[in-house]
Amino acid sequence: MTSILSGDETVLRYSATGPPELSEVAADAGVTVAAVGPSGAPAIEPLVSVTQGGQTTFHTRCSADELRELTAGLDDGLPTDLADAVVDHDPSATSLPVPDLAGLDAGTRRVTGGWGWRRPTDPDDHEAAGGFVTATAEETERAGESLRGRGWGDWCQDEPLADTWETARHTDGEATVVVNAHGTTADALLLASSPFDVLEGACATARTVDADRVVVYVSEADEDAAASVREAADAYPDLPVAADVVTGPSVYRAAEPTMAIEAVEGNHRLEARLRPPGPAEVGIDGRPTVVHTARTLAQLAHTLRQDGPTTRLVTVTGDVADPVTVELTEGDSLASAVDATTVEGSLKAACVGGRFGGLTASLDVTADPASLIDAGLGTEGVVEVLSESRCVVEFVGRRAQFAADENCGRCVPCREGTTQLAELLRDLYDGRYDRDGIEELDRVMRTSSICTFGVDAGRPARTAMAAFESEFEAHADGRCPAGACTAEVTP
Amino acid sequence: MSSDHTHETDAPPLTETIAPGTASDPSVSGTERATITVDGTDVTVESGSTLLDAVEAADTDDTVPALCHYDREDEIGPRSECRTCMVETDANGVVPACSHPAEDGATVRTAADPAAEARDVNLDLVLSDHNLRCTTCGKNGRCELQDAAIEQDVDEPRYGVLDDRDAYEPLDDTSSFIQIDRNKCILCNRCVEACNDVQVEGVLRVEGSGQDTRIGFQSDVETMEDSACVSCGHCATVCPTGSLVEKGIEDATTIPLPGFTQKNSVGKSHERHGKSKGPMTPKKRVDSPATEDSPADDPDDADGGEWP
Ligand code: SF4
Ligand code: SF4
Ligand code: SF4
Ligand code: FES
Repeated sequence: MTSILSGDETVLRYSATGPPELSEVAADAGVTVAAVGPSGAPAIEPLVSVTQGGQTTFHTRCSADELRELTAGLDDGLPTDLADAVVDHDPSATSLPVPDLAGLDAGTRRVTGGWGWRRPTDPDDHEAAGGFVTATAEETERAGESLRGRGWGDWCQDEPLADTWETARHTDGEATVVVNAHGTTADALLLASSPFDVLEGACATARTVDADRVVVYVSEADEDAAASVREAADAYPDLPVAADVVTGPSVYRAAEPTMAIEAVEGNHRLEARLRPPGPAEVGIDGRPTVVHTARTLAQLAHTLRQDGPTTRLVTVTGDVADPVTVELTEGDSLASAVDATTVEGSLKAACVGGRFGGLTASLDVTADPASLIDAGLGTEGVVEVLSESRCVVEFVGRRAQFAADENCGRCVPCREGTTQLAELLRDLYDGRYDRDGIEELDRVMRTSSICTFGVDAGRPARTAMAAFESEFEAHADGRCPAGACTAEVTP
Repeated sequence: MSSDHTHETDAPPLTETIAPGTASDPSVSGTERATITVDGTDVTVESGSTLLDAVEAADTDDTVPALCHYDREDEIGPRSECRTCMVETDANGVVPACSHPAEDGATVRTAADPAAEARDVNLDLVLSDHNLRCTTCGKNGRCELQDAAIEQDVDEPRYGVLDDRDAYEPLDDTSSFIQIDRNKCILCNRCVEACNDVQVEGVLRVEGSGQDTRIGFQSDVETMEDSACVSCGHCATVCPTGSLVEKGIEDATTIPLPGFTQKNSVGKSHERHGKSKGPMTPKKRVDSPATEDSPADDPDDADGGEWP
């Protein structure tokens, strides 16, 4: 296949997730055409770009008609007059030359370098970008000593990977590596846009833990991600281990590492497994199993390939013009991620760290896990913006109710605790604010739930009480400061 | 290259269709004989022990109820779901004693605040979802939940009891041998394991999630009468509460006043349709009609229902 990264030809890129007409028009353009993966900024997609030598034009939300218009004039040079942005760059750039476009211009591009630029399942593109480096087990281990697991789906969440690997290696039986890409936007995007990075990290891990099998676990809702990684596994040159793609139900709890294992084994009802011992000793079919998120493994692949700052993928959602996923170095503040989009109204609060993240009024926190944890926030890599019009009490109440509805039902502190938490928060509307009671319940859920679901479920309420106490008191007095839930408050 | 992975299992044909709905837990007991310090006293336990064995061997500072724990049969438990057995350890912080392996040299403190608080709150959480009508309950006086609540001096459970909150599930009075009152079920899973792992009958399962988690039937039927139950009674034998009680003694311990029965305590019950005759095994008969009402699956409701 012609390399699209050599800089010799005119290359037209379009996002493969666009409408089918787009690919038909592109195919007729008479130039080299490349279907690339999502860019991380869905609002500007379908994103089309045209590259000639060291210059690229970008065309956002490109329709088939617009594409027809711009390809008609390609013989006369780049369609700069039709472009939303034009960038000069190294003619053989292997990662996206960042245009001045909202959603793409924030943060850095290391792990996300190929998004919107390289063909996700083309081995040549991956190789041209320095990929398919075969690290030795020793090199990988060294990297695993400092690299921390990303996301709640990673068995080594916020912990270095190496100890778990060592346990798996020293346990009898052939190990399995589970790539957990369930449920989090950033993980699904990695599989859709740069699956080779993820597989490369999984292969390196397989080598250090003596695994003979890699299982990629995806939510059944993420069809593009599953298709892309399946294709990449087939195209992977000399794949050293067997690789399967398995889908699980698209419910939040299904991302929990032991529930992921249960789903891979084919259990019809998902509940968390007892621990210890953890999956590294007793995992899939009783064999040692390491479970890492796609984010962790892509980061590992890049760490093995070249030195550089470790980064974090952050998805910004909530009361913003458009959700977006960006990459930050660990020293960047979360505020810089929110700059990638526009807050609707003014920012009142943010829920940092996923569904059960922490609430804060300030995004002046750096993206590294230690700072996030110090600030009482979660490390899941999601910042959910709440604008001035939102009621914090209502928000955490809904989160508690979500936890009560969506837990696996296995353990009492989580199953019954989340229900009581929602009740205690609802009591505010009857004039009762039992701060000590809520704190006590949250403490017990944290110390005694079987899995992270129950451990984290109280965090929205806990952090909101600390940062927005006056709002809780106001509700107990029959008043919603945001005016959002007055209808429910009895006068 | 994708490989077609087939599950290798050495389960005998009898068990391969059993789907109890529970996780395949790892074995959680310690592998070696271990000496553990419990509240300052050294105790030695055999290999295969958990911290609870050590706690039981020692004269502890605090009571450790261990409500869902079952110590009479190896095939049953630990389910470790009630979390009323939390203790503090030096190495791992607060852990459930019933399912934490006894490792040599471990130090356990039963009276440490976070552990005592967790045991207390969790027992109250169990009671919050329980119909505490001991006076009309067939297990009054021989109930493990009642025992635990008495031992822990539960005066008034802080979250109230089931009555305060929810509609009752109808009683299942359809079997001639066993009565089910799910309003008293603590989801300890003993009956499921007795049915599937000990009797290898594959009748019971855990189904649903969140507050809808309940004991149900693998054959997707709603009542015991329509299930494949062979009436061996093992589930009722192991049940710690009045949730599964042998018929005939469901009122054995209720107060002797006319009108006070376990059955009318709830108000609603499933009754026998009486179409089946003879032993309680209609499902095992070839001509048995299959019922097609499987329990509703949990929706992924991002909003998480109504609020407030
Ligand atoms: S913490 Fe919640 S989700 Fe996790 S095992 Fe317990 S009940 Fe299940
Ligand atoms: S099961 Fe029966 S005896 Fe036991 S606590 Fe509940 S109501 Fe009381
Ligand atoms: S019915 Fe009894 S044995 Fe079965 S789970 Fe409920 S309380 Fe446990
Ligand atoms: S006895 Fe340990 S969790 Fe129930």
